[in-house]
Amino acid sequence: MPDLDRRDFLKLVGLGAGTATAAGCSDPIENLVPYVVQPEEITPGISTVYASTCRECEAACGLHVTTREGRPIKLEGNPEHPINRGKLCARGQVGIGRTYQPDRYEGPSADGQGTTWDAAQARLLAAVQAAPDRTWVLGASRGPTIDGIIDTVVSAGGLGGRVVYQPFDGSALRAATEAVFGVAATPQFDLSGADLVLDFDSGFLDTGLSPVENARQFAAARDIARHADGGARLVTIGPRLTMTGSNAENWIPSAAGSEGALALALARAVAAKRGAVDAALDAAIARAPALGAAATAADVDLASLEQLVDAIAHANSVVALPPNAAAAGTNAVAANAAVLLLNAVAGSVGSGVKIPSGPDPRPAAPYAEVQALVDAMNAGQVSVLIVHDANPKYSLPMASDFSAALAKVGTVVSLASSVDETSVEASLVLPDHTPLESWGDAEPRAGVRSVVQPTIRPLHDTRAIGDVFLALGRGLGVSVPAGTTRDVVEANWGGAASFRAALVRGGDFSASSAGPASVAIGAARAIGAASRWSGSGDYTLIAYPHSYLGDGSGAALPWLQEIPDPVTKLSWRSWAEISKTTAERLGVKFGDVIRIDTGDGAIEAPVYPRGGIRDDAVAVAIGQGHTVGHYASMAGEGSPGIARGANVAALLPASTDESGGRAWLATRASLTKTGAFRRVALSQWVDNQRGRGLAKQVSLLALAGGHEDHHDGPHVIEQPFNRANDAAPDDPYRWGMTIDNDRCTGCSACIAACYVENNVPIVGETNAIRHREMNWIRIERYIGDGDTEGGEARRPHPDREVLGGEVDVRFAAMLCQHCGSAPCESVCPVIATYHTPDGLNGMIYNRCVGTRYCANNCVYKVRRFNYFDYGYDNWPGLLSLMLNPDVTVRGQGVMEKCSFCVQRIQLARQPAKDEGRDIADGEVVTACQQSCPTDAITFGNTRDPEAAVNTRVDERRSYYSLHMLNTRPGITYLAQVKRDSEESHS
Amino acid sequence: MQGQGGLEETQMNQTTRRYCAWVLAACAAGLAAVLIPSVGDSAGGGNADAPQATRGPTRVADSVCEAQRLKALKADDPRIAIEIPKEFDKPWPSLSACESHDAAWDEEADGPMQPIPFSHAHHTGEFEIDCQYCHSATDRSRAAGMPSVEVCMGCHQMFPKEYDELEGIRLLKQYWAEKEPIVWQQIHRLPEHVKFRHNRHIQAGVDCQQCHGPVEEIDKMHMVPDTKWWFYGLPTKKLEMGWCIECHRDNNQQATQDCFACHY
Repeated sequence: MPDLDRRDFLKLVGLGAGTATAAGCSDPIENLVPYVVQPEEITPGISTVYASTCRECEAACGLHVTTREGRPIKLEGNPEHPINRGKLCARGQVGIGRTYQPDRYEGPSADGQGTTWDAAQARLLAAVQAAPDRTWVLGASRGPTIDGIIDTVVSAGGLGGRVVYQPFDGSALRAATEAVFGVAATPQFDLSGADLVLDFDSGFLDTGLSPVENARQFAAARDIARHADGGARLVTIGPRLTMTGSNAENWIPSAAGSEGALALALARAVAAKRGAVDAALDAAIARAPALGAAATAADVDLASLEQLVDAIAHANSVVALPPNAAAAGTNAVAANAAVLLLNAVAGSVGSGVKIPSGPDPRPAAPYAEVQALVDAMNAGQVSVLIVHDANPKYSLPMASDFSAALAKVGTVVSLASSVDETSVEASLVLPDHTPLESWGDAEPRAGVRSVVQPTIRPLHDTRAIGDVFLALGRGLGVSVPAGTTRDVVEANWGGAASFRAALVRGGDFSASSAGPASVAIGAARAIGAASRWSGSGDYTLIAYPHSYLGDGSGAALPWLQEIPDPVTKLSWRSWAEISKTTAERLGVKFGDVIRIDTGDGAIEAPVYPRGGIRDDAVAVAIGQGHTVGHYASMAGEGSPGIARGANVAALLPASTDESGGRAWLATRASLTKTGAFRRVALSQWVDNQRGRGLAKQVSLLALAGGHEDHHDGPHVIEQPFNRANDAAPDDPYRWGMTIDNDRCTGCSACIAACYVENNVPIVGETNAIRHREMNWIRIERYIGDGDTEGGEARRPHPDREVLGGEVDVRFAAMLCQHCGSAPCESVCPVIATYHTPDGLNGMIYNRCVGTRYCANNCVYKVRRFNYFDYGYDNWPGLLSLMLNPDVTVRGQGVMEKCSFCVQRIQLARQPAKDEGRDIADGEVVTACQQSCPTDAITFGNTRDPEAAVNTRVDERRSYYSLHMLNTRPGITYLAQVKRDSEESHS
Repeated sequence: MQGQGGLEETQMNQTTRRYCAWVLAACAAGLAAVLIPSVGDSAGGGNADAPQATRGPTRVADSVCEAQRLKALKADDPRIAIEIPKEFDKPWPSLSACESHDAAWDEEADGPMQPIPFSHAHHTGEFEIDCQYCHSATDRSRAAGMPSVEVCMGCHQMFPKEYDELEGIRLLKQYWAEKEPIVWQQIHRLPEHVKFRHNRHIQAGVDCQQCHGPVEEIDKMHMVPDTKWWFYGLPTKKLEMGWCIECHRDNNQQATQDCFACHY
């Protein structure tokens, strides 16, 4: 008998137990399915990247689609694309899920029964042939080629017509540009040269015209390395503190709908101060209200406006951004025109504001045209309605009576690729491909043409919308281009050779997009009309676009539901923002449900009392309240037909602005307490950092002098240790990161990128409420330095925001700090987490036994535990197909956390090893870094003194998070710069 | 764009199942080792039908393969009487093709039954086709890659029609005609939490055989147990972590032993 030591004894005991329980176990047999014909460009295990175009919003950013064995697994920005330059926002990142999501239609259906494409097309043709002139097409613009196909069929086939419907129609801005500059086009705003940016509730960093592009320009304009004076100042003007506004120096909390009057008064005051402006402009602003009157109308402090006038008059380059589509009311054209006039007075037309030389090629129809179609439907004048790329039943106001009108249409045809409120009403569903399966193109602005190319064979029995219309046109005997949509796209791109060249680059970006340098000021029309309001309550209802959900189309994508809203840190549900005073008046606290009644409808939502909203307003994000969809509604949680949150769009009136565009800000609401309470998923309960310096700030003065700050607050920060030391002495690497909080806008693109890159699971609302979310990186949001006073300040709900004045919101990305002296490593009983020779904090899933000691000991709270099995079988639909094969899918009972994208490090190691060199700087780009629109994140080898991760460290403002605990983090933060507004024109 | 190339995908909890299967096997082997002091190599049985030198009745071939076998017998022992009908008297398929074909579909042999009786011994042993001719991504990618049907047909469509005698060839041509992928059963499988890179090992000069065994001698592919003995006389299978580490350690500290190199 050999001597048994304790370890071997345990092994033998385990063997016995294993034998007892192993009956029925067998080695699972997995299959290898090779290609029949392997495409030349595909090598198993190596990614193939294709260029395409993002279709999640109208900005039309360029994409690089990473595919693995024919499946797209990651979307990144196309570095050559002039709009996004390699970056991509949260919505774009997770747009990949559209292809795999469980809501997709798997084939055509007629009257709810599956059918064949031949039968479905024949039925469509028969229905249209029966009454061509009573056939209407309703849907969003799909890029020049497909729009061209649809328009050809509509006009040549003698159909009733086509209404280009987008919930945010942008018609006010176009009409305003026409009124002021004589061109019915959407202007482009270029912030890169600005030194003062005025945000009239434009949401330019998250929901504006081109968020990724504007965020990049904004960061460049404020780059502290290039602008010793701090660069551009941002002043936000609007009724609530938005994500964009959170980045401002100053907030002028104007009453909702008063932006136009304010902008015009500012223009007049600035013109008076500067003197000598051109005559047409003078005439246009002659009737502007005086500053005092505007201040009264907007209910703001006159002194703050006078300061602003001073700042504008002294600034070299001012860009004022007009209200976003949902932030202007019945006087939206006037408001937009006023902001454009302010730009003209400030002299930024041609530089900061570029007016295209021609009108927008395919503008969305103003809401009035949509309403005219709805009225025609109601009158029984429409027998066939073809709906594509739109969900009017969800997004049109209840007052428009669309639901009733839909019932009076003989044949409703939906071309939706996944189920929505409108398509469930359709008698004929002809599902479209998703953007990743389609051919197409986009022309977001003159001179930028971008291709959409398929990167996966259609997963289901779907057909491209272009092909459906081509077949319809041929059936009707219309002369349509030969071939398929692809052939038409190719022909539009000048034939095979130039199309191929465009496919490689992602489009044709050669033409310059600069508009005419100076534009004549047209005859300005009656300006300064007050907003008209319907409803009778005491509060203005602000239905604002959710940062990620867009017009509601994002609700089907679980990541957009789960990533917390950048401002409130709420997820998965609607909430009503009211001021703390209002909450007191109503006698409600956080989570208490109130009823919002506009007279056109009512919704109930839990309240989120905050300081960052006016007392006379209630704000609800647009995008929730869907009644169908696995994630969009409660269907995925076992309650089909029940809405998730509330659809605020439905209770808006059917009001229009002067151009016929939809007025979103047009009603007052009454609020009543219901007595109910609802737990909501709030991911960050405190905005008080209690002086711990998690998100520090440095004043310009301290930066310039390098000496102690002139007032209480953070001082110049010491370097307590050298992070490059924390790795094996002979290892060439110590991986580290530098995060510039001054560039972080809180947009959360990094979170989305991390979710997709690292197979981070979605936990759902119930578990998000229990704080079991799995995101490896989060954006923390704090207000000021916080205070350490008494326990009562520890209220479990953010409450430090104040209305108006100086804005001190601090965003700080928090992820595993890869500490040199990590608290998690020392407590793991099985050494599942340990320090690697190259300085990473490794997490070995297969060693982990789930004690969770590490998470308890982590001072940054960045470790996530798999309470449930989120493995392959637990992704609904085909979502598991988008999992990254380079990253392990974690099983139940396992801890996980940020790995610094070690899979990308290992990938970069391959060529370096082959060539016998070290990994060069820039070869490893983490997913979060790759996505960041403002380049706030830099990753690299801290042992390489030339690496950007070191050179970007600004000694004057670098600090480590919680370094006093001696964790020796591998991430250096750069403190936010406090740009005192009085120094704005130094 | 059809293949899903599921080379690496399995889930961690499947590993547990694998593990218990291993435990069961290891335990049985262990018990056997304890109970029967001398475990013989009783796994033979592959040497039936040894040629017997008798004059028996005239043997009539009923297929080309049978004819090839009889011819070989006759060559060995001219006293045997054989009769080969004309339709079976053909040069192809050769005897070795016939034999490896049958051996690759031998239900008694180790390894799972594959949809096509593909013999590695025949292709890479007898004809010395390089491993990377078919597993062509081995030196570039983490995945070795499985040959597409097109690669098989690249050679096999040149072959005389007589080869259709073999069911495997007929099946292959059917897959090609129907443009259907061949669904193989995976044999050398690592759990998903292991990120193994073929190219790294090829670059380092590791022979395929070091992990996959003497493939050139194996008709029906299976995992070859390691010769190393580990832990109370229980044999260990290849492709387990201790086995990887052993090699990484032996290799003059050239290879990494960092957990994060493979587990992430």
